[in-house]
Amino acid sequence: MVRRPGPSSVPVPLLAPELPFEPDPGALPAPGHADRWTWLLSLRRQRPLVLEPWLLAIEVGQLEPEADLLAVLADQLDADAAIRLLRFWLQNPERSPSLPNLVGRVRDTAVADLLAAALADGGEGRLDSVCQTLLLPLLGHQRRSGDFPLLQKLVLQPGPRQVRQSALEGLILGLSAWPLPALRSTLVSLASDLDPLLAGAAVDALARLPNARSPLSLLERSSLEASVAERLQRRLRALPTSSLLLLVHGRADGFIPPDIRSLAAELEQRRGAPVRLRALTDPSPLPPEPLGDSLSLIPLFLLPGGHVRHDVPAIATALRRQGPVRLLPFLGAWPCWQRALAFEVVQGAADRARPRWLHHPIAGRLAVRYLAHLERVTGAACIQTPEAHNDLVALAGDQRGGLMPLCLGASRLSECLVPLLGEAAAAPLLARPALREGLLQALEVLP
Amino acid sequence: MSDSPVPALDGAGGATPLATQPPLTKVELAKSSFCGLDLAARLDELASMGWESLDEATLTIHLKWLGIFFRPVTPGRFMVRLRLPNGLISADQLEVLAEVVDRCGDHGSADITTRQNIQLRGLLLEDMAPLMNCLERVGLTSRQSGHDNPRNITGNPLAGIDPDEFVDTRPLVGAIQNVLLGPDGPRNLPRKFNVAVGGAPDSFLLHNDLAYLPALWQGELGFTVMVGGFFSAQRNELAIPLGLWLRADELPLFTLAVLRHYERRGDRTTRQRSRVMYLIEALGIDAYRDEVLETLRSLGGGAGDAVLNDGPHLVSRAPRDICGVHPQKQPGLCWVGLNVPMGRLDSAALYRLVELARGYGSGELRFSESQNVLIVDVPTQRVAALLEEPLLRRFPSDPGPLLAEAVSCTGNHYCGLALIPTKSTALAVLQELEQRLVLPEALRNHWTGCPNACGQPYMGQIGLMGAKARKEGQMVEAVKIFLGGSMADDPQLAVLYEKAVPLSDLPDVLETLLVERFGASRRNTSA
Repeated sequence: MVRRPGPSSVPVPLLAPELPFEPDPGALPAPGHADRWTWLLSLRRQRPLVLEPWLLAIEVGQLEPEADLLAVLADQLDADAAIRLLRFWLQNPERSPSLPNLVGRVRDTAVADLLAAALADGGEGRLDSVCQTLLLPLLGHQRRSGDFPLLQKLVLQPGPRQVRQSALEGLILGLSAWPLPALRSTLVSLASDLDPLLAGAAVDALARLPNARSPLSLLERSSLEASVAERLQRRLRALPTSSLLLLVHGRADGFIPPDIRSLAAELEQRRGAPVRLRALTDPSPLPPEPLGDSLSLIPLFLLPGGHVRHDVPAIATALRRQGPVRLLPFLGAWPCWQRALAFEVVQGAADRARPRWLHHPIAGRLAVRYLAHLERVTGAACIQTPEAHNDLVALAGDQRGGLMPLCLGASRLSECLVPLLGEAAAAPLLARPALREGLLQALEVLP
Repeated sequence: MSDSPVPALDGAGGATPLATQPPLTKVELAKSSFCGLDLAARLDELASMGWESLDEATLTIHLKWLGIFFRPVTPGRFMVRLRLPNGLISADQLEVLAEVVDRCGDHGSADITTRQNIQLRGLLLEDMAPLMNCLERVGLTSRQSGHDNPRNITGNPLAGIDPDEFVDTRPLVGAIQNVLLGPDGPRNLPRKFNVAVGGAPDSFLLHNDLAYLPALWQGELGFTVMVGGFFSAQRNELAIPLGLWLRADELPLFTLAVLRHYERRGDRTTRQRSRVMYLIEALGIDAYRDEVLETLRSLGGGAGDAVLNDGPHLVSRAPRDICGVHPQKQPGLCWVGLNVPMGRLDSAALYRLVELARGYGSGELRFSESQNVLIVDVPTQRVAALLEEPLLRRFPSDPGPLLAEAVSCTGNHYCGLALIPTKSTALAVLQELEQRLVLPEALRNHWTGCPNACGQPYMGQIGLMGAKARKEGQMVEAVKIFLGGSMADDPQLAVLYEKAVPLSDLPDVLETLLVERFGASRRNTSA
């Protein structure tokens, strides 16, 4: 069978008219005229277009600032032209609601100044909320960090919902231009707003920030409106999460104490991503299987000893042969961990003398500096565990203060101390609820 | 290769000497400065600079090589158009898109396009770098989906499950895309280029620049090559036979040859006259074919074996309404076609579609050119439960005869060229008409906001194009009405029937038209 298309050409009389080089605004067909669309299409192709007659025609009322005309002019506006049109609009906002959005996208200091002045203090009463709503996103487009306080104020303070939404849109459109800590705290505050639309948009914006998992995870503990909480869960699920490899010292043959294994299991549940454990004492080769697209290696060591300085970098190097690895500092160096230790010391000293840290033997200048720093931060002296058991007994009997073993999980040291200090006082750090929870939270929000 | 008046970028093919050629267009000059694909590695940097800092060519031209579209109507909120060869997508992939749209809140939406594709709206430039990584991770891409590139390649939406199909188009479409996006593929065409592969008796594809229609030659199933179809504000053409029959395995390299030839020989001086049909007309169909075959030979193809024919093919009827429950060719399985009004999806609907595809089917979904969605591989015994799902109240499997076959462009909510809000107008008018009328069969109606004809009004039995009209002294939104489009065995493009009907009058005008010309009866009189 032979099939040929029927007469296919449709005589569409739509060829754009040949325009003179500088089209006359007076010749623009009126709205609704059959030729207007193609006329404007031709105007769009005039480059460069001499703007002056068009701006003047609008300013003197010869031309109505219709959206189709503005859309054509918008492509070629410079800052001066945009300012002229915006000033025209500020005096006649009702004549073309589409004008700001079309012409206000020119990024320029003078345009930004004009927008900021118009919006400051509600335009000194000259701008109603509808006009503010139109201008606030444009201020965000300008991406001047100095405009952040105004947008922040308008989004946080009580006011018309549309103004607050528009201020938030301004923040979102300029997202990477704002001071990150202030932006983050603004969005976190907003996520608990009574208006679920604003709160949801704040959660979405937070999810776009660097290291978004951290603030979003913290929000999980806030009381959020149900739809916002669901949105938060969706954002968290979609965020890329790297696997964690927790590196600990371990005991003979790679045995890892149950309290550390339990920590890892709970952490994996909270993060929704793999958390693996590895002991330095493990004689087996490093995990041969792929560790995923991204891996963070977390040395859960409390002191900067030889393991931290030599073994950990060697392990990281070996792992990097399998893929990208992000190596974090050893746990003892984390400021949040040091603050948690300080809090534990204060708690421990509430009804008795200030305790002292009993730590594993460690040598070297770095170790000395670290221990001095720890003493300063926590307010507790650091004492090296004596080699002789009798000396340890004597130390435990010293009435100048209690002892706290500086070991993460159950170890030979903590076990030795149990008969000397009692179960509670000799407990390793992970057996102390506040420290355990603090560590979990710090690990949970890692990227 | 013969001389021709067609200018060439590199002077290849004996074209007019450069000194005598008209100047390249501004767009061509911008495109030649660098390839938009090079921006992929700089997306983070561009985002931190802010889109307002980008020059116009980067913003409105080059980013489209990555499928990223600046939208003047929603400045700062970008669109991303994907590539979904043959309209296929998995639930896992759709879930990623749902998350992307969901994160855009009220600004987010997704549209099913007339090329079985999907485009996402409401995204920030900051979203792009992570989005591109995300898409790659799940096997999706948005590469070269806009501007002067080979657009999404369409195929039979029922490929592989269609009891009526001659050939499964999925591997062919996939192979063509692989070649076109591969290292030898075109990066700088003179204009956009649409390719489609037919596999069934209802594979109407003559609106494509290059269409392969299933055809027999000496008892062997292959493809007749049709070329030159396109719609625009200036001209509308259905594809014509190139005079070639190809085996299925020849399609990828032949497609590459057509595009490489077009890249070299297409007109770059007048964008309104750059589609491949103008090149065919300038060269003459026989010379054009000879040049393409020569290009094919230069690519290592066996052009010497080309079978010349005069255009016979096996496509004989208009596309089926894919909505409803239909048995697949695999016993015990059905596809369920859902009507997505005007092809517009929000994040909640996307998430739900993911769940339905996983829960009832094999986890695969498909999009049709009629902007609807199919859930496939549904066991027959599960169909009844699927039909009870709440989402099907929004996206019914048994839509009315007007909504089922309604196609719409974006409209002025997102497009600065559109003269009317196409999707919302179409939905309101069609719902009103469904209330008033009973129609004997589904009626294909295409809505478009401006003469650029993205909503393909000339393909509809009824076509509607945005316009302005004066009513009672006021300028109001209106439509032009086109009638007579047919995708059956004697294809026709719709022609203008009525100039500028105000939207407020449209339901009454269409009601009369449907009763008088399309066999509709009024509910109150037929009761």
